[in-house]
Formats: sequence, structure tokens, C-alpha cells
Amino acid sequence: MTGAWKATGCEDGLKFLLRTLSFSYARHHVAKTLLTLLGVIVGVATFSSIRGAQTTLVSGIRSTVDRMAGKAQLQISAEGGVPEELLETLRERPEVKAQSPVIEQIVVPKRGELGSLLVMGVDLLGDREMRDYGFEGDDADIDDPLLFLAQPDSVAISRSLAEKAGLKAGDTLVLKLPAGERPVTVRGLLTPRGFAEAFGGNLAVMDVYAAQTLFGRGRRFDRIEIRLPEEMTLAEGEASLQALLGPGTKVETPARRGSQLEKLIYNFVVGFNISSGFALGIGTFLIFNAFTVAVNRRRRDIGTLRSLGATPRQVQALFLLEAAVIGLLGSILGVFAGRGLTQSMLDMMGQTTETIFGVSDASRAQMPLETILLSVVLGLVASLAAAWGPARVASKIPPTEVFAKGAHQARLEDASPLRLASGAFLLLSAILLPSAGWLTRNALVFPVLILSAAGCIVLIGPLARASMRKIAPFLSRVSPVAGQLASDSLLSNPRRTSGSILAMTISLSFVLGLGGYMGATKAVMVRWMDDILTSDLYVRASASLVRPDFRFPAELKAELESIPGVRAVESYRSAQLEYRGEQIQIASIEFAQMMERTRHEYLEGTNEEMLQGVAREGKCAVSDNLARKLGIHKGDILVLSTPSGEVRFEVAAAFRDFTADRGTVFMDRSTFLKYWKDDRVDTYDVNLHPGADAGAVRDRIRQKLSGRLPALISTRKEFKAEIARAIDSFYALIRITVFLALVVAFLGIVTALLISVVERTREIGILKALGALGKQIRHSIVLEALLLAFTGLLLALPLGDLLARFMETSVAETFAGWRMPHRYPWELLGQLLVALPAVSALAAWVPARQAVRTKVTEAIEYE
Amino acid sequence: MQVIFARVAPAGERIRSPGSVVDTSPYGAEDLAVLELRSVTKTYDGKSTVTALSSVSLRVEAGEMVAIMGPSGSGKSTLLNLMGGLDIPSAGEVLVAGRDLSRMSEEDRSLFRREKVSYIFQAYHLMPTLTAAQNVALPLHLAGHSRKEIESRVEAALSSVGLSPRASHLPDELSGGERQRVAIARALVTGAPLLLADEPTGNLDSVRGEEILHLLQRIHSEGGTTIAMVTHDSRAAAACSRIIQIRDGRLESDGL
Repeated sequence: MTGAWKATGCEDGLKFLLRTLSFSYARHHVAKTLLTLLGVIVGVATFSSIRGAQTTLVSGIRSTVDRMAGKAQLQISAEGGVPEELLETLRERPEVKAQSPVIEQIVVPKRGELGSLLVMGVDLLGDREMRDYGFEGDDADIDDPLLFLAQPDSVAISRSLAEKAGLKAGDTLVLKLPAGERPVTVRGLLTPRGFAEAFGGNLAVMDVYAAQTLFGRGRRFDRIEIRLPEEMTLAEGEASLQALLGPGTKVETPARRGSQLEKLIYNFVVGFNISSGFALGIGTFLIFNAFTVAVNRRRRDIGTLRSLGATPRQVQALFLLEAAVIGLLGSILGVFAGRGLTQSMLDMMGQTTETIFGVSDASRAQMPLETILLSVVLGLVASLAAAWGPARVASKIPPTEVFAKGAHQARLEDASPLRLASGAFLLLSAILLPSAGWLTRNALVFPVLILSAAGCIVLIGPLARASMRKIAPFLSRVSPVAGQLASDSLLSNPRRTSGSILAMTISLSFVLGLGGYMGATKAVMVRWMDDILTSDLYVRASASLVRPDFRFPAELKAELESIPGVRAVESYRSAQLEYRGEQIQIASIEFAQMMERTRHEYLEGTNEEMLQGVAREGKCAVSDNLARKLGIHKGDILVLSTPSGEVRFEVAAAFRDFTADRGTVFMDRSTFLKYWKDDRVDTYDVNLHPGADAGAVRDRIRQKLSGRLPALISTRKEFKAEIARAIDSFYALIRITVFLALVVAFLGIVTALLISVVERTREIGILKALGALGKQIRHSIVLEALLLAFTGLLLALPLGDLLARFMETSVAETFAGWRMPHRYPWELLGQLLVALPAVSALAAWVPARQAVRTKVTEAIEYE
Repeated sequence: MQVIFARVAPAGERIRSPGSVVDTSPYGAEDLAVLELRSVTKTYDGKSTVTALSSVSLRVEAGEMVAIMGPSGSGKSTLLNLMGGLDIPSAGEVLVAGRDLSRMSEEDRSLFRREKVSYIFQAYHLMPTLTAAQNVALPLHLAGHSRKEIESRVEAALSSVGLSPRASHLPDELSGGERQRVAIARALVTGAPLLLADEPTGNLDSVRGEEILHLLQRIHSEGGTTIAMVTHDSRAAAACSRIIQIRDGRLESDGL
């Protein structure tokens, strides 16, 4: 007696109930408990890994910029590089206490397993003023400083890289550069502190003049770093140097440069935030479903507790306590799982930001303490929020439930007109909010998503019931016994049915909406590429389309034109520019020539106006996204900061263009040369004579450039495919979100059917007693799953379409200025119509097995 | 035996959870078991309205042992639920010591049940995952009693029903009669002055049923507990001092 008694311990009532009733429920329903736990783990792991990767990426970029900057207070940069002569100009200036030229290049070593490597070209003799390192003593280990400087292939690498790569002084490291593979020799090691820690320690330092040659910078530097005299403030120094150097040259603090880089990837990061929020939503939904199952299963126990004097609050608290335990445990496991996923997420994000934005960072994935804490807290909050509804339902279970026999059938009254009106109002507000125009970016996206979700929660229940009533009779015709059982089951428990269809509808709306958006975007981009990319060959010096690290000399054009088979060559050159606080892109080409082979979709202006204005009158044209973002119209004047000073450009036209998400200003090459005074070329667009063999011409170009200049030569098809891959990598995250939505849809059906089987245990037992075959019961569960899925799909059709339209217009416009023409995702719908029956049948498998295994005698006794 | 019942928890003793909102009992030792139903009607609304009880009035005095009889569906269990505050009437009043249960909040009714009413069910309703001792301890845990007090009361309750040796057994390991005795121990352990029993012998054979009836009679006579028992069993009814007959939701007869 005493021994048995001691097992209960000295606990208060709730702890006792948790330890005995709840834990024993968990022990007896391992699968369901694991499903609940899985909900938290999936949500928290996805959230924490996305968050961890995002934090690592952003803080990596920031800290790389900070560490590289060292003691530099200001950085001077210019589009296309800072000319060497500027060093002379600055040498005697009173604002400059010390200066150091820098070239920065991210390269991939031949040994790919080492990851990207940041090569810094610095003035080794003068750079110690800027950065906290040396080449002697404890800081660095250079055998022969003179040899280091004398040999242009000398590099000093961080000790961590040397360790990772197994390199020592005198060893060779082969770098893959646009001009081909180039070996460099390790002649020094840097201590991994401060500067050497930048870029995750994957750092090599070489002489800046050797770097000029190696990376094809000509007689330019990427930037010049400046230290000011002690008596001068940062603002004074910045203003004075900016005035001296003019608007074409940028004088800024390293922190500002870092924030500019962060700004470039802002849209991308927002996408990640939405996805991580969605992941948590998934977890919440799974927990909600699992707790709904638990409450249904334990109604009689709850009734007993209530009859023994448990108050509604105690019952509610018990379920919330269970949720807290599961939430905490799941969150901790989720954080562990998230840590494992973070590196993959970071790799994916890093690849995308490098491809699309030219911003990279080689940090190793970390999960900062604040991310861990945030994930655990959010996991806990999500668990409690998800369990709140079921816990309230449990607290309202009357004590008379202890006497209830048979299955519990939650009754739901018909929706009141007020409820329908509120739901319609919420949904309508979500639809109309974007057109009000006073909210932008996150402030627009989140309220619209919240209002839509609220509208769906209110409306989908009644709509689902109405739809089911219409569909159910058909099911009975298809399969008289199983169909009747399935439709009876769904219609007799409107609350469960509504909940499942709600989850199904929201998930499928996400699938259709996001999938539709991706489809529409891709379709319009493909059309744009077909209209613009009409040259036969594209000759590039740099693999990066966004931030070329090597440019061709202008003279190459004549050489290319002289190759047999070549009809004409255009010189495409891009530049980055800050305009009204936005980083925009300048694109220049021989405009008249280009317009002979391209087609454009105009927002304002005509083909003739653009040809006349841009090609002949020195005006500019703007991309549609820039026009929308900054409210630019035809005839407006843009004042751009060029190396020749501020220049006024009249806008001749605005047309649909996807060159850059920040917006693009187009001008004729002659105009660009006039003001930018930089004739180097990013890409030569090569047009062939009719009938010329593109492959043969490509070989001739390769021969001509071999050993002299780097050249990536793509045919039109290859070039388009490369851009399409870049677009795909941008949508990698949306694809993950769509996948998660499908997981929710699947698990939604599983849990709904599990609840159904639990609630109908007695009914199933009676049916079996009356002679129903296992096959008929299994059949009815599968039909139930199909009915749930198709009703969800039916309701998701308009909602998914609305979401797609919202993404194509409002979201695309507020973040990038684009408006995508709407296109219904018929292909996706077709895929869903094929996949859903298979997924539903699969989801019904476990519940059906459970139903078939129900023992008649036990089921009839089930209360 | 009286000593044993008194040791479990003397009838009328107040059992309160720490910080309980009920400070004054509506059903204290001094006004024990004055239960009165005034024109009580209970209807259930569904597709059509079902009247389970229609204008029933009755009074149960402290220390009575009452049998409630009637055919299936006559409203016996509904009457029992209303008497114990498990449910509230659609019309009329259920007065306990002058206080109307239907006017109490759900929370207060729970606290009222915890202190003043205990139940015995036909299907026992023991928690299948708790041992006999833990099942008996359950209402005391809900009320927030100290470990020491719970331990002594549970020991006494189990011993009073002769189940001390089976304390550490799960319900599945007990016979039907033993399970019902555990349920009785759970009802006794709080010392509630009113015990409501719904077909307490309904699931038992005649020998076990007889044992349970004797136990209830002892509780009534030695502990002074007021007992209302729904039953179909004429032997069980014969053990009571008063028999109330119900038919079609109406009081058909009330007397010996």
C-alpha cells in the first residue's frame, strides 16, 4: 500500500494529473504523441534553420565588411573601379592621414571542397595602417618578405585555411579564374584574428598590383581606403572628399557599404521570413490537430474528472501544461534538427545571393543564442496557441459526459449571417487593402495574409459544409455502401470536417497561389527573354551576370566582327548606381542596332520614341519596375551621378524588363561612354549571318581569345537556360514553402481521418457486427479522404487564384516594382488532380488500418 | 467500522482547495443534505425537443437513503445528475441548503461537487492507467491536499472497502466487484455528505452486488452519509429507506 502510494509523490493536483494521466496517454498513443512532437520539431527546425542561415548570412556580410575595413574610416569607390591616379591626388590632401588601395575578388579554388576564397589585393607595405596584421612575429609567418613582394604569384593565406587545405609555405594553390586556371604560391601565413577571420577564414592576401594583373583590373583598384587625421570628424572628411572627387565617385563609411549589401538582398530575406513563419504555422496546425484528437479520445476521462470536482480551469490548465511540455521538448529537438539543416539552408541562400545579387559570404553556419531562444520561445508559444482551442473545448466538456455512451459527435450550429458577413468583410478587406496604396512591403504583406487567414477561418467552415452537402450524394451513387458511410461520417461531424477542410484549403491555396505565381513569373520572363535575347552568341568575361569581376576591352568588338560568320556585334555594359536612395543598374548597348532584333512591351512610350530618344538624342529609357517604384514617367528628367558629374537624362520610354529587381536605366553606348568614360564591356552580343553555324563561330572566337582573354561563350539557348537557372534558384524558397504546404495537406488528411476513426469506433464496431467487411470500411475511409481533399481543392481554386494575383501584382510591385500578367496555373491544377487521389489514399492508409483492426466487442463497449 | 469511515473523512467535513473561492459551504455539516427540487424540468434540444424530466418536485432530508427507480429512459439518471450539480435544469430550482445550484457558475458547481457530492457509477469510471490507490487519491489531488493527508485518507478509504492489499493494482487487474469497491473508496475519501450512485450493482453478479449493497448500507448507517441511488434492482431498492418511482419524466410515487 505504502509502496504503491509513494509512486504518486508529493505533487499538486495538476502535476499529478500530468504525470499520471497525460504521460500514460502519451505512452499508450505513441504514434499520435510523436505526430504532435513532430509538428513542433518540423516547425521549429525549419524556422530555426532558416533564421540561423539568414542571420549567419547577414551578419557574415556585415562582419566581413567590418573586418576587411579594419581601421579604415572611409572607402572611396567608383563604378568600374577607382583609377590608380587617384592615389596621387589623395596623397597630399589634408583629409588623408593614410590611404590604401584594395582589390577584392572571390574565387573558387580548383580544389572545390575548400569553398569560395576571398582574395584581397592590398598594398603590403602601407596596409598595416589600415588592418591589424603583420607579416612578421606572431601575427604572420613570411619566410622572405622580399621574395613575397618580388613574385607576383605570392599569397599569404590564413592559418585556418592552410590547416583545412593542408598547405604550407611554398605550396601551390590553383585558382579558377575567368581567364583560366592560375596557380598562386603560398609564401606567408596569417594569424586568424580580426582581418584574417573575415569570410569565415577563407582568405588570401596578395600584393594589390599583382592582383590588378591576375584579376584583369587594368590600372584600377576596387576601392581606396582612407584614415582621417585625429582632429577631423568622419562627417567633415566624407563631405570634403566627396566634394573633391565629384558625384561619380562614392565616399562612404564601411558600415554604409555593408548596409547597402544587406539592402540588395532584402527582398530575398523577406521571402525567408515569410517561409519561416509559414513553417511555424504548420507546426501549430499539426499540434492543433493532435490535441483535437487527444481531447476527443479522452472525453470520458475528462467527464470523470469533472464529476470528481475538477474545475473547467483545471482541465484547461492540464491540456495547456501538456502542450507546454510537448512544446518545450519539441522545440529543443527542433533546434537540434535545425542546427543540422542550417548549413544546407545557408548554402542554398549563399548560392542564390551570389548568383542573383553578386553578394557572397563564406561563413560557416551558426545558430546564435538569440535564434535558439527565439525558436524555443516561439515553439512554446505556438504549442500553447495551438492547444488553446482544444483545451477550451476540453474545459467545456460537461461532467455528464461520463455517462455518455457511443461516439461523441460535436454539434455545430448553422453559421449565422453575422459570421458570414464578418468572414466576407475580412476577405474583402484583404482583397482591397493592396489597392488602397498606403501600405508597402512587409506592412502590406503581413496584414493581407492575416486578414485572409482570418476570413478563411470564419468562412471556410460554412462553405465546406455547403459544398459537402452538394458533393456527398454523388459519393453514394459511386459506391452505395462505402460512399454512404463516408459522406455520413463527414456530414455528421461538421466541426471536424470543417477543421480538416480549412487546413486543406489553406494548404492547397498556398500551393496554387505560390505555384501559380512562379508559373506566371516564369512565363513572362521566358517571353521577355525570347523578345530580348535574340543574338546568336553571348561572349562574357565573367561568370557573374550581376557583378562582373572582369571586363573586355572595347577593341575586342572589331576583332569579333572580323570573324567569318559574324554579322554584327553589340557591346553590353552595366554599372551600379545609387539613385534616390536605391541601388539601381545602368545598362548600355548600341541601342539602334539592338532594337532591330528585339521586341519590347511598353508601359509608356513607343518603339519609335525609344529609338529616337535613346539611340539618337541621348535620352534614357527605364524598366517598368523602376518606373513603378519611383513613379517615373515618360518625359521626366532623371539626374544621375556619373563620373563626369551630375547629368540630366530625359526619359523616352518605360518598358517591361527583368534585368534587375532594383530597376534599370537604359542608355545608348555612346551616351554611357560620354559620361562614364569607361569603354570596357561586360558581354558582347554576337549576331551571325543567316545560315552561319553558331558552333563553328564559337570555336573561332575561342581560338582567337585563347590564352589572351577569358571568355565564356554561350549560344542563345545556353544563355537563356543559365538565366532560367538563376530565376529558379531565386524561387528555391517558394518551392520549399509549396512542399511544406503539401506536407500540411497530407498530415491534415491523416489527422482528420484518425479523429474520424476514433470518434466512430463504436459505429464501426456496430457496422462490423452487422456484417460490414474490412474492405468496405477501408473503402469508406479512403472515400472520406478523397471527399475532404476535393472539397478543399474546390475551395482552394478561387483562394489560390486570389493569392497568385496578390503575389503577381501587389507583392511583386511593392518589393521589386514588377507586375506580372496573371495566368491560371492549369498545369499545376492538373498535377494536383492526379496527385491528390494518390496522396489521399496514402493518408487514409493508417486510419483505415486502425478502423479495420477494431475489435467488434471492444468497439461496441467503447464510450 | 464506524471508526474507519470517520477516519477517512467525517461526513460534513469541509474539503477545500487552497485559495478556493468557496469559503462558506452551501451544504455544511450543520445543515447536512437538505436537497430540494422545485418543479424541475429538463429538456434536450436536438432536431426535436426531448423532455427528460417534467416538473419534478421532491425533498431529500439529511441522512436518508433513497432509491430512484423507473424503467429505462424514465429520467432517473437525469434526476441524479441534477441532484449532484452535474447538470442544470431547463426550468425549476435545485436547492441545496437553500442555494440554487442552477444559479452557480460552472466553476462554483465544480467546487460544490468536490466538497459535497461523491459518485458511484455503474461502469465504475476508474482511470485505466492509474492504480487503485491513485484512483482513490484523484479527487484529493484535485482539491490540493497535502501528501501526508492524501496518504492517510487513501489508506483509510481502501482499508474500509477491504482493498488495501490491491492498492497498487491497475483497474484491469481487478474484478468487477473490486473495481466498484475502488470507486466506492474514491467516493468515500473526500468525506462528501451526499453520495449519488447510478446503478452501482448493475454490472455485478448477485453475490458481488450484495456485497456492494452492504457496503453502501454501512456507509449510510455508520458514516451518516445521505445516499441517492438509481437502480433497477428491487433488492437494492429494498435496502433503502425510501423509494422514488419515476415514469416518463414524472414523479410517479414517493415513499416506502
